[in-house]
Amino acid sequence: MEILQYSIRKLFSGIPLILGVTFISFVLMVYFGPDKTYELLGKNPTPEEIAEVRVQLGYDQPFVVRYADYLRELATLDFGNSDSTGERVDALLARTIPVSLALTAPGFVLGNVLGILLALFAAYYRSTWVDKTIMASAVIGMSISFLIVIIGFQIIFASSYGLGWFPVRGWSVNSIGDYFSYVAVPTMATVFVALGYNTRFYRSVLVEEMTRDHVRTAKAFGVPPTKLFYKNILKNSLIPIITRIVFSIPLVIISGSLLIESYFGIPGVGKITYDAIVSGDQPVLKAVVGLTAILFVLAQLLTDIMYRAVDPRITLK
Amino acid sequence: MWLLSLRNQMPIKCLHTSLALITIALLISSCGDSQEQSSSDTEDTNLKVYRHAMDQAPTSLDPVQAANVYANFIVLNTFDTLFSYKYLARPYELKTNLAVEWPDISADGLTYTIRIKQGVHYVDDPAFANGQGREVVADDFIYSIKRHFDPASRPQGAWLWIGRIVGLDEWKQAGSDYSAEIPGLQALDDYTIQIKLKKPYPQLLFTLAMGYSALVPREAVEHYGREFAIHPVGTGPFRLISYDTSQVILERNPNFRQEPVDIKFEGYDPERHDYSGVATIDGRSPPFVDRLEINFIAEASARWSSFTKGDEVQYASIPNEQVDQVLASKRPVTLKPEFAEKFNFYAGTEAGFIFQAFNMDFPEFGYNEDPERERRNKALRCAINKAYAWEQRNESFYIGLGKVFPGIIVPVAPEFDPDLSTESITRDLAGAKKLLADNGWTAENLPPLVYGANSSVTARLMFEQFRAWMKELGYPTEKIILKRFATFGDISKAWKESRLPFVTKGWGLDFPDAENTLQLFYGPNGSPGSNDANYKNPEYDRLYELASTMLPSPERTEIYHQMNQILIDDCISITGLARTRIYLWHKNVIAIPDREIVGGFFMKYVDIADAEQPDLTGSGSR
Repeated sequence: MEILQYSIRKLFSGIPLILGVTFISFVLMVYFGPDKTYELLGKNPTPEEIAEVRVQLGYDQPFVVRYADYLRELATLDFGNSDSTGERVDALLARTIPVSLALTAPGFVLGNVLGILLALFAAYYRSTWVDKTIMASAVIGMSISFLIVIIGFQIIFASSYGLGWFPVRGWSVNSIGDYFSYVAVPTMATVFVALGYNTRFYRSVLVEEMTRDHVRTAKAFGVPPTKLFYKNILKNSLIPIITRIVFSIPLVIISGSLLIESYFGIPGVGKITYDAIVSGDQPVLKAVVGLTAILFVLAQLLTDIMYRAVDPRITLK
Repeated sequence: MWLLSLRNQMPIKCLHTSLALITIALLISSCGDSQEQSSSDTEDTNLKVYRHAMDQAPTSLDPVQAANVYANFIVLNTFDTLFSYKYLARPYELKTNLAVEWPDISADGLTYTIRIKQGVHYVDDPAFANGQGREVVADDFIYSIKRHFDPASRPQGAWLWIGRIVGLDEWKQAGSDYSAEIPGLQALDDYTIQIKLKKPYPQLLFTLAMGYSALVPREAVEHYGREFAIHPVGTGPFRLISYDTSQVILERNPNFRQEPVDIKFEGYDPERHDYSGVATIDGRSPPFVDRLEINFIAEASARWSSFTKGDEVQYASIPNEQVDQVLASKRPVTLKPEFAEKFNFYAGTEAGFIFQAFNMDFPEFGYNEDPERERRNKALRCAINKAYAWEQRNESFYIGLGKVFPGIIVPVAPEFDPDLSTESITRDLAGAKKLLADNGWTAENLPPLVYGANSSVTARLMFEQFRAWMKELGYPTEKIILKRFATFGDISKAWKESRLPFVTKGWGLDFPDAENTLQLFYGPNGSPGSNDANYKNPEYDRLYELASTMLPSPERTEIYHQMNQILIDDCISITGLARTRIYLWHKNVIAIPDREIVGGFFMKYVDIADAEQPDLTGSGSR
């Protein structure tokens, strides 16, 4: 009951956030984004045709009316049709979000799980060669451009110049075998880069926790390392870990990964979002921005509830 | 030990949750395609599949929005036009397609009567009663052209017919009511179309070979609404299976009419085409492949990796950074043995060009109230033109293979004049400096030149090269200013609003007639029209209007040449360069690919060789 009441309160308190995000992003779209009109014209347009396209796009309406329409669309989750392809925006998202999720989830999970494990190693062997090796590797992973990693991995694992084990590109998934085949190289590239950031972050969280009095006391009482790490360190470090993971989820779901999708020819939401940004496809952009804001509110709620689950001292008020 | 313990706790829960999420995502993502996949199972090794690659995806598959080569690749293979181009004939030649024969044209050139084939059916689709594609009738053509004059269709092809067909403009002004008849666009019966023109329009048949004029069924447009752009329902050799930002999958239209190929009629020349094996399609009815996959791969490195992998895309162009690794020689183009062993190739000049133009609306460079300043402006434009180093540009950005030519009649156009003086494309720095000095231009009084470009690295490099040439001319560096635009839409807006004094752009021919480039400088086409230079020369306009009603003839060609010379003499444009396209394809693909003019019409002739392959030791060039 307490959680339900809190959730309702929290969702209501998220409305100003959603309004703020949608308003600012809509101002940017309308006044600073690309003008779609000029991409929809023929080669030799007349002023009348330009005016007609603007009417079709709704650009002739006052800003307030257009913003009100946006809010109505967000409330009803009906964003109409893409200005580029004509496809229904809800169908577009329903088609692409699962693909992005299936693409990014393995990298996301592995990047975080391996990051935590490596961070535990590094923290446990702090200041030894193990720690230094892991941290140096992390810095290397962080320093190399994601683009270079993608191209490099594509050549090494997929192309005829390298091992040629996996498809260079595409997403023709009809079986679990196909899935692993197509997702392998993107996942390796994602993990390679994410691991560096994750390991460094988690290590600093764990090291900080290791220096606390209760850990020192536990050590003095002879608590074995496994129990010490699990009960005294990892559990108490879960607040920042949960925050980092949960707040990454909306980006994983909605934003996908433009570079991965683009280089590997995967029809996910990242690519359509990028295309919408550069072409000024406002119906798609409005949907992506609005849904991301909503997901962040939900992520915030989920984070608070999870805080309570891992730390009973936290109350939902 | 403690790690084992951890693995049994929290991470395993996370993994379970994640696996569940992935499974759900996979299920959802595969649900939408299940029907399509079942009808086009790639695991069936008996299927002939051709995998093409392109550098961009089309945004719409609706013929009214078939504005670029990417859209036309799909539109021309899923819909039909009345006329099309012969597969191999170069220069390009029209042939009948849905039309039974060449139109009856009245003596005054104003009335075209076109009979269309009987028994041609649209692909089966839920939009039709009983889901079965109905027969194509003349009214479909009328409806398809009307859509270009209905703003609700968001059309892009009206410029081809505006002001040309009797009653069409008025029909739009009256509200685009589809039930209203148009005097100049009539279906005389189910299989006869009549077009009445206001004045002769020699390019009309070319326009009827463009994707814009493809025939669409009204019930499908109304059934799908705006989503008709992703649900093409046509009569073409293929039908759509799936479409997304990375790939279009088409499969053979089982009801496509049986029309055996006469390879000689299509322009087959053994000397030029034998290497490709295309002679093997003679006497057979296209399409020859069961499935067509067109992959959209923007990144050249990914495209090349996929192409050279062997079992992925079967067609690619050579990325600039790979040219030295792949080509054994540039003139003529030949491949290194290790590539020649695996791939066929084709090198040909594009049907288009790149050029720069001064915007004459700007009094600093163009028209000026002061006649003396206008005279000096012309000298300034000519000096900049003389300082422009086309050969350097060619070497730096087009691997030295582009064809530099004077004027705006491109090499692929039948009216191209190979004997035209090359003075306007030959760098003459001393002459340029003298011209400036003779006309009172100094570093102090030269006007700032704003150079508009997109935000790519290549565009930036091109600008820097241009600025270096201008510095050699004596133009202060700070007066050559780069204005960057994030998207094509942004720079297009600047052109259409006449906000840039110096326009840099490319143009692809819509049809093989120099009129298509000469109209770029026709006065009434000024901004927001295609005349971004806003050039207004009464004599040029008079000649354009005179030629615009003439059928191809030596007299018309002579007029075109006069217009070309006027542009060169007025130094309106720094022009031009036609790029050389080099296409590579796997040796088991029997085809000669081409993406020029309207793009993609070769696809229906593509075949895949079985174990036995034709003689594949050669190569081609146009």
